[in-house]
Amino acid sequence: MRHGLVLAALAALALLYLGWGTGFAPGFLLSRRLIRLGAMAVGGTGIAMASILFQTVARNRILTPAIMGYEAAYLLLQALLVLALGTASLRLLGDLGNMALSLALMLGWSLALHGLLFRDERNSMHRMLLIGLVLTLTLTSITQFVQLQISPGEFAVLQSFALISLDGISPNRLAISAVAVLAAGAIALRRAAIWDVMALGRDQALSLGLDHPREVRLCLTLIAVFAAATTSLIGPSAFMGIFIANIAYALTGGFRHRRTLPAGSLVAVAMLLIAELMVQHLFRFGTTVGILINLICGGYFLFLILRRAGRPA
Amino acid sequence: MPLSPAPPSLARRAALPAAFAALSLASLLIGAKDIGIGWIFDPSPEALLVLTASRLPRLIALVLTGMGLAISGVILQQILRNRFAEPATTGGMEAAKLGILVALTLFPAAAPLLRMGVAMLFCLAANLIFVAILQRIRFRDAVLVPVIGLMFGAVLGALAEFYAFSRNMLQSMQGWMLGDFSRIVQGHYEMIYLVLPVVALTYVFARRFTVLAMGQDMAESLGLGYRGMVALGLTLVSATVAATVITAGAVPFVGLVVPNLVTLWRGDNLRHTLPTVALSGGCLLLFCDILGRIVIYPYEVPLGLTVGAVGGAIFLLLILRRPA
Repeated sequence: MRHGLVLAALAALALLYLGWGTGFAPGFLLSRRLIRLGAMAVGGTGIAMASILFQTVARNRILTPAIMGYEAAYLLLQALLVLALGTASLRLLGDLGNMALSLALMLGWSLALHGLLFRDERNSMHRMLLIGLVLTLTLTSITQFVQLQISPGEFAVLQSFALISLDGISPNRLAISAVAVLAAGAIALRRAAIWDVMALGRDQALSLGLDHPREVRLCLTLIAVFAAATTSLIGPSAFMGIFIANIAYALTGGFRHRRTLPAGSLVAVAMLLIAELMVQHLFRFGTTVGILINLICGGYFLFLILRRAGRPA
Repeated sequence: MPLSPAPPSLARRAALPAAFAALSLASLLIGAKDIGIGWIFDPSPEALLVLTASRLPRLIALVLTGMGLAISGVILQQILRNRFAEPATTGGMEAAKLGILVALTLFPAAAPLLRMGVAMLFCLAANLIFVAILQRIRFRDAVLVPVIGLMFGAVLGALAEFYAFSRNMLQSMQGWMLGDFSRIVQGHYEMIYLVLPVVALTYVFARRFTVLAMGQDMAESLGLGYRGMVALGLTLVSATVAATVITAGAVPFVGLVVPNLVTLWRGDNLRHTLPTVALSGGCLLLFCDILGRIVIYPYEVPLGLTVGAVGGAIFLLLILRRPA
């Protein structure tokens, strides 16, 4: 019953988005909005699933792939590509090539983090968070340095990568990302029960008969797929994942992945939709979806840390 | 951590000033315009112009920024009793940025001094809010403080971005927020001299700041006016941050890396370590600036980026090495 209501509300939002101002008349505006809607659906799902799975692996409710440097590494890669080959490289590689390259990078990043996450049990939650934040800041500095070497025109192309953005998405890129997110999402949902066991921690999971190292590797691979697909589609999500994941836990009243994964995806898509509607009709394009979401989610994240700060980590 | 290690030998004591002098000289000599070294003995008018109009102001701005930020880091670390505190990890820099933006839109024609005043007020307000937030938290993990501070800064930054975008200033904001010393010429940097009285005052009150780090109860029972000292410290920090952000933009991590490295080397007695901290801060900025001028010669990399990369790497090492 409740699921039906939520889905109906989301569908109504989507219809409102498509219809407001276009009157559903077929044409340029409607087709453009359909692509943006598709990008929001794919991107939102990817962000939600990546964040929830990452929090399960890290056993930590305030970490997300974005905070742990996945997106900063992606941006650095893009800057290096443009520096080495020029903007033409983006066209040369094609959407598929770029996606494959990002995927390889994020898999590598997952592996590197794997060592850090499980290096020793004393690593406190806040310590990991601090490492992630500083890592992101440093990588961003280096990216800016690389960007400085690039001619101004190419610099402008890269600048648009810095925040969530739904502009200039080609149907081709949307299709590639959609396939990746759908495939990874299907695997993630089918193994929902396994993630539940994994969330208990390494020792518990092992004694319950789970091949923990193997499942962790699979989980990190899925996270890399989600992160690569969404970052190359709509750009870095920064603090959005943390907001989504925690809302999903609160809505479903627990940590069962069979429920939190779909719920998180719905929340993410709804959030992107609402932000887009607000930018179009409330702010009259006086701001962007990326800035708006950054502001809201950053504020929520600060609130979350402060509320939890009174208790031992 | 040893409070006062054995007094360093003469050679070690002379090492830092010598390095500082060498870096200063290098900073004067290196640049897009090659002026050689002959001017020391027989200055030509052209070399003199380059020196007085550009190189010397730049040297002064660099050294004062480095000193001011390093000392701001020390003060914040004493007040918050946390090794990871500094203007960039307590939201101060982002607040100053927001302040400058607001001043630019509200009083576009105002004198730079007014802009700095607004930036300083915003920075001070952010610092006070941050101290208030931390006081409400009972359980304190040492790493929690910079995490909250960085998030606080991120929210202020998002606010600034929101504000800047709606007034079409986003691009120019990104331009002048990078710590960039290549624009510093005679007549456009003098506000940085404000750092000098701050450094002097900090040195005068050094003993009291050391006592401040023992916590409110201890400090008060030793006869220190705790609240007054905290207010003074935060004001000094805000003035420094506002002055450096207005003249050169945000320079992260100096206030964090320098005091931590000096503490490893010389201990915690501020009266003894403050000169070392100030000199090392100047040295770090000079070094990073020279690096930025050489890497893509004859162009330049803004200092904010070199310090961001170098300082970030040192910061990461400090966190990873520190036992949890």
